[in-house]
Amino acid sequence: MKVKCTWIIAAVTLALILLSLPLLSACASPQAKPGQVLKIGMINPATGPAAEKGRVMMAANVDGVKYINDELGGAAGYQIEVQALDSNYDTAKVVTIVKKLMDDGCILFTTAASAEMSAAKDAANKAGFPGISCFSSPSLYRPPAHIYGQTPDYGDDALAFANYYMKNIWKGQGKPKFALHLLSNPTGYGARDAFKAKADELGIEVVSIDEHKDTTISEMESLTRIKGKNPDVLYISSTPKPASIIIKNARELGLYPGITIGVCHAGLTKALIDLGGSDVVEGVYGTYPTVLWGDDVPGMTKMIEYCKKYRPEYEGNADYMGSWAQSLIVAEALKLAVKNAGYDMLAKGDAASWKTVESQGIQKLNGYDVGGLHGPVSYTPGDNRLDKFNRVYKIVGGKIAQPSAWVEAPLVKYEQYDWFGK
Amino acid sequence: MDLPCGTRNYDYARDMAVLRTRTHWALFIALLVIVFTAPLYLSRSSLSIANLIGITIIAVTGLNILIGYCGQLSIGHAGFMAVGAYTTAIFTSKLGIPFPISLICSGLSAGLIGIIFGLPSVRVKGFYLAITTIAAQFIIIWVINHWGSATGGFVGISVPTASIGGLEFDTDARQFYLIMVVTSLCLFFAKSIARGRIGRAFVAIRDNDLAAQVMGINLTYYKLLAFFIGCFLAGIAGALFAHWVGFMNAESFTLTDSILFIGMVVIGGLGTTIGPILGVVAIRVLQDRLIYFSPALESAFPALPSGFTVGIGPIVFGLVIILFLILEPRGLAHRWMLFKAAYRLWPFSY
Repeated sequence: MKVKCTWIIAAVTLALILLSLPLLSACASPQAKPGQVLKIGMINPATGPAAEKGRVMMAANVDGVKYINDELGGAAGYQIEVQALDSNYDTAKVVTIVKKLMDDGCILFTTAASAEMSAAKDAANKAGFPGISCFSSPSLYRPPAHIYGQTPDYGDDALAFANYYMKNIWKGQGKPKFALHLLSNPTGYGARDAFKAKADELGIEVVSIDEHKDTTISEMESLTRIKGKNPDVLYISSTPKPASIIIKNARELGLYPGITIGVCHAGLTKALIDLGGSDVVEGVYGTYPTVLWGDDVPGMTKMIEYCKKYRPEYEGNADYMGSWAQSLIVAEALKLAVKNAGYDMLAKGDAASWKTVESQGIQKLNGYDVGGLHGPVSYTPGDNRLDKFNRVYKIVGGKIAQPSAWVEAPLVKYEQYDWFGK
Repeated sequence: MDLPCGTRNYDYARDMAVLRTRTHWALFIALLVIVFTAPLYLSRSSLSIANLIGITIIAVTGLNILIGYCGQLSIGHAGFMAVGAYTTAIFTSKLGIPFPISLICSGLSAGLIGIIFGLPSVRVKGFYLAITTIAAQFIIIWVINHWGSATGGFVGISVPTASIGGLEFDTDARQFYLIMVVTSLCLFFAKSIARGRIGRAFVAIRDNDLAAQVMGINLTYYKLLAFFIGCFLAGIAGALFAHWVGFMNAESFTLTDSILFIGMVVIGGLGTTIGPILGVVAIRVLQDRLIYFSPALESAFPALPSGFTVGIGPIVFGLVIILFLILEPRGLAHRWMLFKAAYRLWPFSY
């Protein structure tokens, strides 16, 4: 009788275990089968006129995904397969690349530059193919569709700097005079639109707007004109190479020092100091959405470890940090999408997968911390900027230093202005 | 044109025909079948590249008429393309003019602007003319950037999908058919120009303008006509580009593109109809492969400093041009002619 009872208990226990297995497996992380990967596309201008940033950013994107795959086991247990492609900063090429990524079953794509995303957005929005741009401009997502900005855009940069200037630097009477020197692409006109929308509210006067190409070799002519307007501030919304030339020319003309120079986050990198020379760019202000290289934040150690191991020459380059964070955000969005909708929904890499990764991944991001490398990442309905926080820095002794407190960039609904996009 | 042994023409009509033998017709029909069934087996990205190739062929064919046939150097062709692109963008999005009319207007507007910038060709030639056409590139782009109310300025402009009689060309496959039809018409137009009286006048001007004038060719008229035709085709290409890309700003039409077009003509073969096709296909396919090349090289040689591939695109492109100039200055078209000659004589090549 005792033996029989033991057998019955053993059988019931076994049955219970067998019955609970599916339940347990449902609660655990999904296990990827061989060949099950999450495919994404990452576009960077690794060659061409913006290569000084693009090659660093491409390296960081790839390293970030390697870290996620090797050390974190991928996104929700699935390895991320990256197609890292070089756009050459060429708009026609970007269009064909985006379509290639759609064909190849990628479920989302990223770009480094706003100019790249500008070229990609029409094809991506029409197809509903979600994209995240590291550097962004209001025109990419105002009004919002399927394109997202990783960090505050060039309009937010301009407003953050103007606010900082008014509160901490401007000591004069009346309205300070701002001269704008803008790259002739979304990097430049993002800032122009912001000043156009908010200059009166901020109490500043824009006395001149000049533009330059990314291939410029001298801006003496435009700066001579600007000097004639006697500005208090020269705001440069551009990439490091042209920005360094403008600052160098401003020094040669005796315009700087004597005025305040501010640059947007596309320009405020180590490359600006390297290209311009530390003595030339000394004292220049700029905004940037990440912390400083080496700051004591949780995500810094691993990033520096990878940078030192694979790309020692990029150590200290803030662009590396931005794109490393971009890879982390992509992985988090994929993780959420797998968790909320299951791998099968993403496996096909078709329009349904794109919709899923957008609605169940990107739009579910809520306070995601990229190891403190930049502000928290959240999606707010109607606002496709994922991180909304900026800081103002100053170049001191050949280094980007003196960070201000984090400033949350308010949402500006540019589409409500008649002139926007015209 | 050389004909296979035993093939003769018995009247002028046949002598002037583009397709003269059964083989010609068979190959032509096979080509049409391959091209027009391509959307059935090509992927979206391949079609997209094919569309870009078709558009570029039109632009480069225009440049070939200008440089290859008439000998008028132009380094502002992307600017003329921009004129066509913005004309159709404004006409279709702001004025609601139907696409077919705006397409023709794009060609005409680019052609007329081309005549204006071609006026210096009456007095100057060679490098001097090249400089004036560079000015066209800068002036056109400057106007686009600063005429914001019409062109969208630096922001750019959205271009609606092309449509004809309610048929929307809203997918890559549909765009492919549209672009291939227009490309075929443009090539036929260019071929007809080149083979006729106008083409012979262009060649005479290219070879020796003084001698051409002595023979009674009106230099001013024909040089400006070359600019008009070359820029007309650039305008058509620009219009198709605008509807293909959907959103554009002046950055889509750079000086680098203008130089690239010249490279395509040189690689393809100056003064031939097939040259632009071969040059464009070679360069566009090469460009497409290069998007993988730089990241792959960086991954393959981790020991080399990062960023060593930064200039890989221009280096490869420059190298290809140098090699062609040294080894085959008459371009791929000449190689094609040699191949055809060998085929005609095969298997008795001697």
